[in-house]
Amino acid sequence: MKNIAQMTRRGFLKACGIAAGYMVLGFNMTKDAIAATMEFIGLRQKSVYKADATLFKYRKSQDNPMIKKLYDKKHGFLHEGPCGHMSHRLLHTNYYDRSARIKALKEKGIKLSL
Amino acid sequence: MSGSKVKKSPKIRPVDLSGLKFDKEGTMKKMEDVDYLINAPRGVDPDNIYFVQVDTSKCEGCGECEEHCATGAIQAINDDGIHQVVNPAACMNCGQCLANCPAGAIYEGVSYVEEVFEKLRDPNTVVVSMPAPAVRYALGECFGYPTGTYVGGKMQAALRKLGFDYIWDNQWGADVTVMEEGTELIERIKHPSKERPLPQFTSCCPAWIKFCETFYPDLIPHLSTCKSPIGMLAALAKTYGAEQTKTPAAKMYTVSIMPCIAKKYEGLRPEMDDSGFRDIDATINTRELAYMIKKAGIDFKSLPEQEPDPVLGMSTGAATIFGTSGGVMEAALRLAYEVLSGQKLTNPDIKVVRTHEGIKTADIKIPNFGTLKVAVASGLKNAAKLCDEVRAGKSPYHFIEIMACPGGCVDGGGQPLDPSIREASICKYMIAKINKRYRKRRIA
Repeated sequence: MKNIAQMTRRGFLKACGIAAGYMVLGFNMTKDAIAATMEFIGLRQKSVYKADATLFKYRKSQDNPMIKKLYDKKHGFLHEGPCGHMSHRLLHTNYYDRSARIKALKEKGIKLSL
Repeated sequence: MSGSKVKKSPKIRPVDLSGLKFDKEGTMKKMEDVDYLINAPRGVDPDNIYFVQVDTSKCEGCGECEEHCATGAIQAINDDGIHQVVNPAACMNCGQCLANCPAGAIYEGVSYVEEVFEKLRDPNTVVVSMPAPAVRYALGECFGYPTGTYVGGKMQAALRKLGFDYIWDNQWGADVTVMEEGTELIERIKHPSKERPLPQFTSCCPAWIKFCETFYPDLIPHLSTCKSPIGMLAALAKTYGAEQTKTPAAKMYTVSIMPCIAKKYEGLRPEMDDSGFRDIDATINTRELAYMIKKAGIDFKSLPEQEPDPVLGMSTGAATIFGTSGGVMEAALRLAYEVLSGQKLTNPDIKVVRTHEGIKTADIKIPNFGTLKVAVASGLKNAAKLCDEVRAGKSPYHFIEIMACPGGCVDGGGQPLDPSIREASICKYMIAKINKRYRKRRIA
């Protein structure tokens, strides 16, 4: 049988929180609070798109004069163009399998979500 | 020449930093409401570092952190529900636990702030600043501006005032990334192979890269081989930048300024030395930059609007949107569209890929090519869903963008905190809890 004593501390707090919130505020105010939290990230994102649309003379990377200078076919530092030899040396990389340590952790009995 | 439409202003004189008191290595320091361990590692394996950890004496056992962790690295270690990051190998360093902890119990284990101050005071070191796009959309919050205010111009001025010798911009790095990653995508579409299969995953987000290497190593060939914008800018700083400014690369000290904690891990990757030196000498985040500006006694609000140094600093709208989920995708599409179709993209807004949360998919119709299928995932739990699809061979996409933090870098683990998270009032805390519940239900 499940009872409160068997609930996790986390689960209990959450249940209390939800109950108290709805009791104190009623449904509509709770909705406002949700909107406020969502807005926080949204406001920064909105500001980014506004800057993109209004602040910049160029909106495509390939139009940037300093990018054209970098990749200039005659004098550019990366004159072979994107993904050329120099690009591969400086701007591209390799990745490494890091799963071994996770396997070791799991063998030790540590539970992870993945 | 300028990238954005801001007027030039008179030259800024750096402030005198010689009188400042400094904190010793190994001490804790509060910066913008987050505790940092003063610790500047160099030449060590970043896989052994706890970039975020819980102060067990402050943990209240609410378990909020666990809900923001995709891997389960942060978990209860006893019956009281006290939490810890159990092992650094399981932690992707995204810092969402830290950003959402209502008790302020989670601290950062690495801070280069003191070392950066030391280099700024040293007349023989040429200190280069490399701020990420997202920093300028949140830094202002630390100085009383409303959430999301763009303070790019003042940020550049503040960096000059702090004494940085060159203000190179990671937005320029983002423009370079578009050129490289967009070209790579077109190459993969034209000649898909076992070594370079489709879909291509973006490689800008360091938490995502570690996640793929750790939990989906079989999908590594799908990762773009491109370094992140900061990886590119830093390697170019000590080669191209050194050449352009006639500065010996050995005298340079490069500071990556990020909205992120995981970028500290990326900066320490042993392979990031293609310039012949350590490409990235130090990584700090938005909160630490705000702390430095305040500590140096700079009045941020009264600063003029300035531009970065153009050669490695001029940037575009495509670069600034790297800071938000869907932005890398949109920026790359602005290039891919023109290359694949041979036509001009008249309206650069590709709103269908702009992602607030969750997963977004879109079919982009490109003349002379056909349909480009793309997906954008915000948050590592969502990334796992797309990875499982690729693993099963059922992924229909050409290009997938993944950002570990919800909404992208603007909501990164190194950004100023959402003030509502730490509200002392229990009532507000309850509301925050309900919000989270409700948000989940809406996604489902």
